[in-house]
Amino acid sequence: MSNTKPNLYATANDETYGRQIAFTAAFILPAAKLLEAPSILAKYAAGDLLVPALLHFLLQGGLLLALLFAATGSDKTLFERLESMLGKGARVVYFFLTSYFVFSALLPLLDLEKYVYAAFFDTAPTSFSFAMFFLLSAFICMKGLKTVGRSADICLFLFLLPFLALLGMSVFETDFTHLLPLFGTKFGDSMYAFTKTTPHFNDALFLLPLIGNYRHKKGDIPKIMAGYSVGSFLTLFFLAVFFGLFSSIAAREHYAFSKIAQYFPALKITGRIDLVFIYALTVVLLFYTCFLLQYATSFFCRGIGTQKKLIPSAVLNFGLFLFVLFFNRRYNALYALISGKLFWIFWLVAAMLPLFFLLPKNQKEDNRA
Amino acid sequence: MNTLSENLDKNLKELKKLLPSEDILTYEFDSQDRVHCAIVYADGVVNKQLLGDLVARPISKTSLKSKNEGGRYEIKFETIEKTALFPELKQPKDFSEAVKEILDGNSLLLVDGLKTGLIVGAKLLPVRTVMEPPTDIAVKGPREGFIEDVKTNMSLVRKRLKTPDLRFQTLRVGKRSDTAVTVCWLEGTANTEVKDRILEKLNSFSIDNVPDSSYIAALLAPRKHSVFRSIGTTEKPDIFTAKLAEGRVGILVDGSPIALTAPFLLTEDLQSSEDYFISPFMATIFRLLRLIAVFVAVLLPAFYVSAQIFKMQLLPLGLMLTIASSVRELPLSPSLEMFVVLLLLEVLKEASIRMPKYVGMSLSIVGALVLGETAVSAGFLSTPAIIIVAFSGICLYTVPNFVETGSILRWVFLIIAGSMGPFGIVLFCAFLLYYLLSSDSFGTPILAPFSPLIPRDLRDTAIKYDLFRLKRRPKILQSENETRLTSNKEN
Repeated sequence: MSNTKPNLYATANDETYGRQIAFTAAFILPAAKLLEAPSILAKYAAGDLLVPALLHFLLQGGLLLALLFAATGSDKTLFERLESMLGKGARVVYFFLTSYFVFSALLPLLDLEKYVYAAFFDTAPTSFSFAMFFLLSAFICMKGLKTVGRSADICLFLFLLPFLALLGMSVFETDFTHLLPLFGTKFGDSMYAFTKTTPHFNDALFLLPLIGNYRHKKGDIPKIMAGYSVGSFLTLFFLAVFFGLFSSIAAREHYAFSKIAQYFPALKITGRIDLVFIYALTVVLLFYTCFLLQYATSFFCRGIGTQKKLIPSAVLNFGLFLFVLFFNRRYNALYALISGKLFWIFWLVAAMLPLFFLLPKNQKEDNRA
Repeated sequence: MNTLSENLDKNLKELKKLLPSEDILTYEFDSQDRVHCAIVYADGVVNKQLLGDLVARPISKTSLKSKNEGGRYEIKFETIEKTALFPELKQPKDFSEAVKEILDGNSLLLVDGLKTGLIVGAKLLPVRTVMEPPTDIAVKGPREGFIEDVKTNMSLVRKRLKTPDLRFQTLRVGKRSDTAVTVCWLEGTANTEVKDRILEKLNSFSIDNVPDSSYIAALLAPRKHSVFRSIGTTEKPDIFTAKLAEGRVGILVDGSPIALTAPFLLTEDLQSSEDYFISPFMATIFRLLRLIAVFVAVLLPAFYVSAQIFKMQLLPLGLMLTIASSVRELPLSPSLEMFVVLLLLEVLKEASIRMPKYVGMSLSIVGALVLGETAVSAGFLSTPAIIIVAFSGICLYTVPNFVETGSILRWVFLIIAGSMGPFGIVLFCAFLLYYLLSSDSFGTPILAPFSPLIPRDLRDTAIKYDLFRLKRRPKILQSENETRLTSNKEN
């Protein structure tokens, strides 16, 4: 099954760099954890909400390290090596990844829709108010993965400045003693919170398409791991502030980042200027959700061996638009299904894929340049 | 095409056939030894006095015939070349070239018995004097501006860059206009890939007429339907040469006072020539002010509308109550009201540009006082809407090169805000951002140095560092020579 002609379906538009992966880990991934994850963690782990989050980060950090290790030791990208090893059999992996990214986008899409209706409208929005998101998504899906890397660069400003501003507005109102006593929650409850929030912490796999398309350079692994650590630290600090601020009612405070600065005293005079920062962070959140679909489109196009993404992108986005239209009123049931019964898919894929990608590393590369 | 013959009448007849227009004149005269000569030229674009004093008069006082080795009389080209006391002389290859030169403003000297002609560069085209451009005014700094004559513009560039590295390459573009398009760059500084791409592109299209450099910009643009520019423009030689010195490639177009530069970065719109002549602290403040002004100009009307319709929390309570009281009895919806006021602004702006200057004052009174004031007192429009549009309009002019793009975006944002509220605004912002992220100008990402992030290049973007921290050229331009400032110590 071996094929000596690598890079069958990839284009130069998909190439990314170590810095961009580090920035994605530091400034895009945390945005995905600011919506529903804090309230769910608070619901089940209460003051110990940092424990399951930390466990997630350690697990994902380990998987990320394994993936990065798999990407080293060759002048080819991970996907090029995969194609060299499997030939056209690599399509199976690509179709599998397509399915995975569509699956992993379902909850973020519904979360985003609910958040948009709550944070952007005082009036009752129509069911179609969110529909325009899919136009943006379809547009993004047609671009190469290179733009994901470039957007990670811009997210340094777009995420960090509003995020720090929101934290700055809320941190003085925070009572960190609400987090005490440490380990006050039963370990079983913390583990349950860990399980329930699995869909929100699929970091290593989110970075896989970028890692798979980059050529490793010396010093990239510490850089990327540092980026992931920064992202993790920012998320943990946000969670601490969130629980310190809302304490026992934290479990009911959905879409945490849109509410975290609402007690800032100056808002009474200036109006909700925090909304400016919240909207800026929403752009990052929109990017994150679109990237899941972009990955799915990208892998699907690689799988069928085409660079024309218009039709796959349109079909995928239209399909997901219908999904959101029909499932927005069944959110709780769907969430219970995915986080309660299908969470193992995330673990399985997250655990298996890095190991799978370690295989091509061990193959003898007879066509190395 | 045919080559010239020895017979003057035949040549003149052929030229008359090729150039039948009545502004193509022929001046006929004889040399001292009665050799018939003629000068063919286009009326109004030739310096007739120079042509008479330095070409016709010396020839009419000279014997052109000389004996050759065989003892026969003949007319030598060298004799005519020496007699005509003109620095710019050229021999045309054929009628085609001769016609081109005549149409370009040069004159063709023909001598009976000589199987060639002599192009005399006695061009005298009507040109404007070099003056301060109206679009790029600087309180401090040079005031010269480009004019419509490409040769003058080239001299303005040469005056500032007295280096053999400065190269010009002129191409002829336009099947009918035959416009001179001069590409200029600093050898060893500019990215040769960009230069080659520009030259290749310029050679690749065929167009009838090039009345202005904007045509060349449109033809070179990588994305034809984009509202964002992908080529920089300037009317000032100091800015133009500064960009060449940074490693960009410049384009001067005959007939246009606006020079083009490539690659173009979006941050260039924030920069003003004055920023480099004042303290870096002030320059930084001005740039941040411009940046905020652009956002206000484009987004303020949209946010005002969406705050009224979809998200009242966007406004402080006191302000919301004031607005509510002023819009309570309006017959128009907030978005329609804003649409009308913005339309009014655009119409007034358009009329004030086209209207004769002496009517302009009346227009301001009619527009601002009569229309605005009476519309409010009649209860047709509200005061906050007029204030917001006026402020937005003023803000946009802090970045003159962004006015066109900003105006379009303001309309789009307004329509989106009226129909989708703040979510629409955020969504469209994300769309624009992603569009810009994926846009390049001759291989250079236009959002650089923010994306891709180049920390060193950030020193001359929204924040302006002092001269000594801008020792190296922008990395994104991939200049062959990165250093632009060294101190004696380093030497």
